[in-house]
Amino acid sequence: MLNPFSARQRARVRAFFGKPANIILVAFCAVLSVLTLYPLILLLLETVTVHAGKEVTSIKLPRGSFTLYSLKNIFATSRFNYSQLTFYQPLFNTLAVALTASLIAILFGGGVAWLITRTNLKCKKFISSVFVFPYIMPAWTLATFWATFFKNVNVGAGTSNGIMAAVFGIYMPEWFVYGYFPISLVLGLHYAPFAYILIGGILRNMDANLEEAATILKTRRWRMMMRITLPIVKPALLSTLLLVFSSAMSAYSVPIFLGSPVRYYVLSTKMMSLINNFPGQGYIIAAVMIIFGVSILAVNQKITGSRKSYTTVTGKSSQISLVNLRGGNWPIAIILTVLMILVAVVPLITFALESVIIKAGDYSLSNMTLDFWIGRNLNYLDQGDSTGILLSAKVLKALGYSLLLAITCSVVAGTSGVLVGYGIVKRRGSKLSTLVSNLSFFPYLMPSLAFGAIYLAMSTRVPGLQGFAVLALIGSVKYLPFASRSGVNAMLQLSGEIEEAAVIVGVPWYKRMIRILFPIQKSSFLSGYLLPMVSCMRELSLFVLLVPTSNTLLTTMLMQYSEKGWAQFGNAINLMIIIVVLLVNFLVNKVTGASIDKGVGG
Amino acid sequence: MKRFLSLALALLMVLCLVPAAMAESVADLAKAAESMTHEELVEKALAEEGTFVVYGNTSRIVTAAENFSALYGIAFEGSNLKDAEIYTKLSTEIEGKSKGADMVMIQDGASLQSIAIANGYLVNFVPASVKANVAEADQNPLIQQFINKTFIWNNKGENVPAITNVWQLTEPQFKGNIVFKSPDAEQVNMNFLVMLTNEEWSGKLATAYKNLYGKEIDLGEYPNAGYKWIAEFLGNCVFGNSDTTLAEEVSQETAQGKIGLFVLSKLRSSSVLTENLTVGQYQAAETGVAIEPFSGFMYPMYAMLSSNASRPYTAMLFIEYLMGADGFKPWGKSIGAYSGNAEIAPLEGDLPLADWKASLVMEDPAYILANYEDVYFFVNMFLQ
Repeated sequence: MLNPFSARQRARVRAFFGKPANIILVAFCAVLSVLTLYPLILLLLETVTVHAGKEVTSIKLPRGSFTLYSLKNIFATSRFNYSQLTFYQPLFNTLAVALTASLIAILFGGGVAWLITRTNLKCKKFISSVFVFPYIMPAWTLATFWATFFKNVNVGAGTSNGIMAAVFGIYMPEWFVYGYFPISLVLGLHYAPFAYILIGGILRNMDANLEEAATILKTRRWRMMMRITLPIVKPALLSTLLLVFSSAMSAYSVPIFLGSPVRYYVLSTKMMSLINNFPGQGYIIAAVMIIFGVSILAVNQKITGSRKSYTTVTGKSSQISLVNLRGGNWPIAIILTVLMILVAVVPLITFALESVIIKAGDYSLSNMTLDFWIGRNLNYLDQGDSTGILLSAKVLKALGYSLLLAITCSVVAGTSGVLVGYGIVKRRGSKLSTLVSNLSFFPYLMPSLAFGAIYLAMSTRVPGLQGFAVLALIGSVKYLPFASRSGVNAMLQLSGEIEEAAVIVGVPWYKRMIRILFPIQKSSFLSGYLLPMVSCMRELSLFVLLVPTSNTLLTTMLMQYSEKGWAQFGNAINLMIIIVVLLVNFLVNKVTGASIDKGVGG
Repeated sequence: MKRFLSLALALLMVLCLVPAAMAESVADLAKAAESMTHEELVEKALAEEGTFVVYGNTSRIVTAAENFSALYGIAFEGSNLKDAEIYTKLSTEIEGKSKGADMVMIQDGASLQSIAIANGYLVNFVPASVKANVAEADQNPLIQQFINKTFIWNNKGENVPAITNVWQLTEPQFKGNIVFKSPDAEQVNMNFLVMLTNEEWSGKLATAYKNLYGKEIDLGEYPNAGYKWIAEFLGNCVFGNSDTTLAEEVSQETAQGKIGLFVLSKLRSSSVLTENLTVGQYQAAETGVAIEPFSGFMYPMYAMLSSNASRPYTAMLFIEYLMGADGFKPWGKSIGAYSGNAEIAPLEGDLPLADWKASLVMEDPAYILANYEDVYFFVNMFLQ
């Protein structure tokens, strides 16, 4: 047998794989390529394939043949203005919504972050702990709340009045209740905690010496803000902009609730309506969304890459002098507290209320019942289910399934995050490390719905990749970015000597991980487990195409209930999801000290 | 050596094929079972093992399966899914050769033909015991029941929209006052629009136009009266996501002057204030003045066997059950459901199926498939 490699090459390979960090990087490089690039190729194939049903009858070619029909329809059909209405207009709407949402998130989240970290604002504790609520809650929570609160007889179907009109007699105009404005605002509020955590983290760790020097030189406040504070947080601002932009782009449930009554389409809603009849066209929209995601990754890479030195101004310095808000303190605190209650607490109360009334719009005690929660034999309601949700085997089974899925994804993604973090940091600067770092961040930029569509295509080709397996796989891959980010951040804070000491005495690698590295950075690592878990519990778009039945997960069940119009059961389930997520977050925080902000901000 | 190997491989392949060829397909079993009596079906069904799996796009299929399961002591699993989800699951399961549904109940005849029947996912079966009571045209694929979506309006206040001609709905005062589930959210709604473009309905619409306005219709750019009506009707509509919600909304005290085109049986929901609603066709039956030329549309719900059923006889027995009076009970207890079995009369107070059929637009899957793309492109213009 001839060996094509020389002894020296073999020795080099052996030495390379002698380091655990290299093994990890190579393994993850291979696995992630398969899990992100292979599906991408499948998706591209779907865009030029004839699918069963209407495509066969319209194109008049057998199923599975090659066709440019879908591409032509989406991009270049002027008949009935088809491409314009199906693609270009929704694309424009998507970009408008995503851009506005990111600006709102930055202004609101960044502003609050500044108030909390750099001023003597009152009620800081309440505001900062409730501020992350909108991110923990499913995005549609705020959307449905918005619609039920502001709807009135002058807008949309115009059949009934929401609380604003019924109680306060204020009739908001249509642009305020449905369409571009509320979609952008709700998404902006939902992702504001992102900005809060990213920008707040930098403001908190910022070297106060710079500001102190400026103060000594009698620099004015606004000048300090413009010349020192803003430049330092600029990379974080841009990162937030890009992250929120790509998340908002793929949002599905918010535009469905707030857009459809006024015929406002975005790419994600158009894709969902196409994928049933003309799957090829649906897949093309998915591909376009992914191209945007990848471009955003590239831009982000360029910006943060070239500005790296800026963000590392984090030498822990002496006290930061807090800005005295003086007379503005109480008004700002009160406004923010009221806003937080409106955004985070009132929706929960509304859901509770809506889940106990029988006939919509009638809030008298005689119209109330706990049947939707604990009733039995509810056939008189004729709302699909005959048992209250807390007693319904179907709902409890879905709750169990959702929890099991969330735990599985959190364990797989969290553990991978720790390993990837170790590998990337140990081999920092190498090409392999950068590649794995990008690959592990890539799923974040894949729009959930499009990612789901690809895995659907993959599941029909790979035997055994159905049901729980495909859900757990996609969840783990999709949430890996959260875990790998907190893994990298945690490892970056650890000095190399800690591990080296153990290496010298010959402690094997797995023991170093379990006994030394993990315990030191426990709370950071655990945050990497928590975020996938929380995100998974409230995820809809990623799973909606892959669930075996609508009843499989709480979120898909909720979506079905709202489509069927079984509002009370739907509201009860919605509340159940939020309470479970808050409870998990609270418990993990109390027991381990891990928290959401540590995971995102690092 | 090589020759031996290829021979062995060929032999192996043949051996693998033999059991597959020997096992009778579900279609063959169903054909043979069409002459079986009820007792024979029961005997065969009870001899089968495993959980009986049902998919349906009506929520009440689960209730029917529960009753069926209690009657025969057969364990079941029932899922209420959307049409598209059912087709995705059928194709994944049948082509992936994994265990899936035994029996499926589904609407939207065009998709049924072009996806499920064209690819052999679903198999037809007409039970001998009910064959004589099902119209010939409704036997393949077998129609278990018909469902209607009809004009229903709020009867409160001064400006009650009691229409007598569908062209009234295209007038400016109806702008924003008609609710309809978006045709891209539910296929049967799109099917209805496609049907309006055929010769029969576009002709009837042209006549209705003349009867209302006393002059010939001016088509302008539109190919026929069907297209014109679709364009102007959709232009006045507000789209919803769920028929139940639409029924609820139109029934509100505050919804005066509103009219909807939605499923009649949604009036059963406890959250709908039925006293505020008037069903156009019921009023027509009383006054003798019908809405010209239609008062809504009707579509069938089909019951079929899955071609990879692991309990085929149980599925056949269940279809027989669904076609009988007991099996129809979950639907028959409220208005808006009409059994495919002529012996089962609609609920007291509702109209006979024949009356509805005469005043509603019925689906023709062949026409829909042939013209779907054209009408879809056209309708797409009015969705946003």
